[in-house]
Parts: sequence; structure tokens; C-alpha cells
Amino acid sequence: MSEHDHDHHHDAPANPYHRSDRSPERDEALTERVKKIEALLIAKGLVDKAALDKLVDLYENDLGPLNGAKVVARAWVDPDFKRRLLTNATAAIAELGFGGLQGEHMVVVENTPQVHNVVVCTLCSCYPWPVLGLPPTWYKDAAYRSRVVIDPRSILTEFGTTLDDNVEVRVWDSSAEIRYLVLPERPAGTQHLSEDQLVKLIDRDSMIGVKKVQIS
Amino acid sequence: MSEERLTRPDIAEMAGTSALPRKSGELVFHNEWERRAFAIAVSLAEQGQFEWSEFQQQLIESIAAAERDDPQNPGRGYYESWLESLEAVLRRKHLLSDRAD
Repeated sequence: MSEHDHDHHHDAPANPYHRSDRSPERDEALTERVKKIEALLIAKGLVDKAALDKLVDLYENDLGPLNGAKVVARAWVDPDFKRRLLTNATAAIAELGFGGLQGEHMVVVENTPQVHNVVVCTLCSCYPWPVLGLPPTWYKDAAYRSRVVIDPRSILTEFGTTLDDNVEVRVWDSSAEIRYLVLPERPAGTQHLSEDQLVKLIDRDSMIGVKKVQIS
Repeated sequence: MSEERLTRPDIAEMAGTSALPRKSGELVFHNEWERRAFAIAVSLAEQGQFEWSEFQQQLIESIAAAERDDPQNPGRGYYESWLESLEAVLRRKHLLSDRAD
């Protein structure tokens, strides 16, 4: 967790039941209840401590940008879906079965030959995690968060993305209420690829907008 | 893209009241027991000791019960309802007794 990942209202949990306001005594009692279950299950050979630790680790570091790639690939092959995605992204993404957002709205911005979009959260690290998984470390860095607003082209160059001078760069600032996702351009020479094959081309960085989708 | 997903979407991406508490995508645990209770339930479901949908349904009911009196000030937190649900499901599966059944 970085030093910028502090608590403030902008990023506060939306639901009251997420809050912890228990007394130390109550936590002690709950700790005992869980220990009892764990000991019982260990005795039955159903769980072991190391496996449990590993499991929490997996879920805490869950990377799920595949969902976003599926959204983008569908938009590339299905013009009706793309229209719905650009007008009401939250609903269109839910059509594919991806949800779990807690009150945030998704907005999808489309890259074209004239416009290149890039996403940031200048205040902290708001991020469309149901479609992109956890944010990369650099997304939370103060350097990225401030510089991409002031000089997006130089940041993009550092990611290996060079844009023509006549391309307009738009920077979108995510918040607790609105999470942006970039719909990258479909690369030339991919007309023969199936939707599943297209999904494999689309990586996280292209949906944040710091890179273009490349044919690998 | 080569990242293989090792977690189950039906667990990681539960929607509505049963959605895992997160902050910018990262799971939020206030105490170590919450982390243990999370891992035990997920581990048993991944082994097929119970269906995740059964646990989730129990969790939804448990959260609703906690919010019944005052939705803004529920009687217990998310992982307390989680623990209630875990105990209830384990009891149904006869996994909460000392006997090795």
C-alpha cells in the first residue's frame, strides 16, 4: 500500500456495513469464534494454515483485466453493443455479467484516429476494478497522477506511445462516482480474428489509455 | 495477454449487499479474524464442501437481518455476518461438531 493510498471521503466505502466500530472485547470474542472453527477444520484435515494464507494472498492481489478485454473485444465486433457501451457503460458491461461496483458509474471513452484518451485519478487511485482488476503501482504514484494532467504526451512517450501532433489527447479524472475505461482502437490487420482471439490482444494498459493495442 | 486468473469471479465479484468490501479494488479487512473467516469460507467452497451460491444466499440473508432495524446503523459489520453465515452453512453440513463426520 502506497503512502498516497490514504483514507479520505473521496474513496470512503459507500456502505455502512463495511465500517468497523467494534470494541476490542468484541473483536476478541470474534477472534475466538474463528479460531475454534479453524481448529476444528484443521483437525478434520479440511484446511491448513499455509493454504489459507495463500488463498487470501490470491484474492488480495486478484488481477482481472480479462473482463475489460472481453468488453472491448465485444465492442469491436458488435456495433450495437458498442453504441450501448458508449451511451450507458454500466448497463452494457453488466450485460456481459460483470458487476460488483458499489455505486460507481462506468463511462467508456473511445479512441479514434483523431482523439486519444487516457485515465487517471488525480486525488487517489479510483479505478474500474471489476473490469481491470487491481490498479498497477504506477497508477497510484504521485508522479503519474500529476504529470499526466500537465503533460500527457510526455507520459505517453514513456510508455512507448507516440502520437501525431494533430491527435487530441483527453485526460479523464476518475472519482468515487465515475470510473473511466478507454475503448482502444482495433489494430489494422485484425479483421480475420475471432472475438476470443481479439480478447488476447487487449491488455490493461491499453484500457487505461497509456498504450495502444498491438498485434503481438 | 497472458495473466491467468486464479480466483473465482463468482466469489471475487459478488454484487449488491454481498459484494466483498473493497477500497479502489483492494479487499478491506479490519482484523485478522476477518481475513481468516474469509479464507476458510473460500477454501471450503473451492474444495466443493458447499456451493458458493448457498453461502452467498446465507450471507445476503444475514446482512439483511443485521440491517433490518436500522439500515444506516446495522447491528454488526460485513464479516460478522460472514461468520454467522459460515457457521450456519457448516452446521448444515455437519462440519461444526467435534465428531469426525
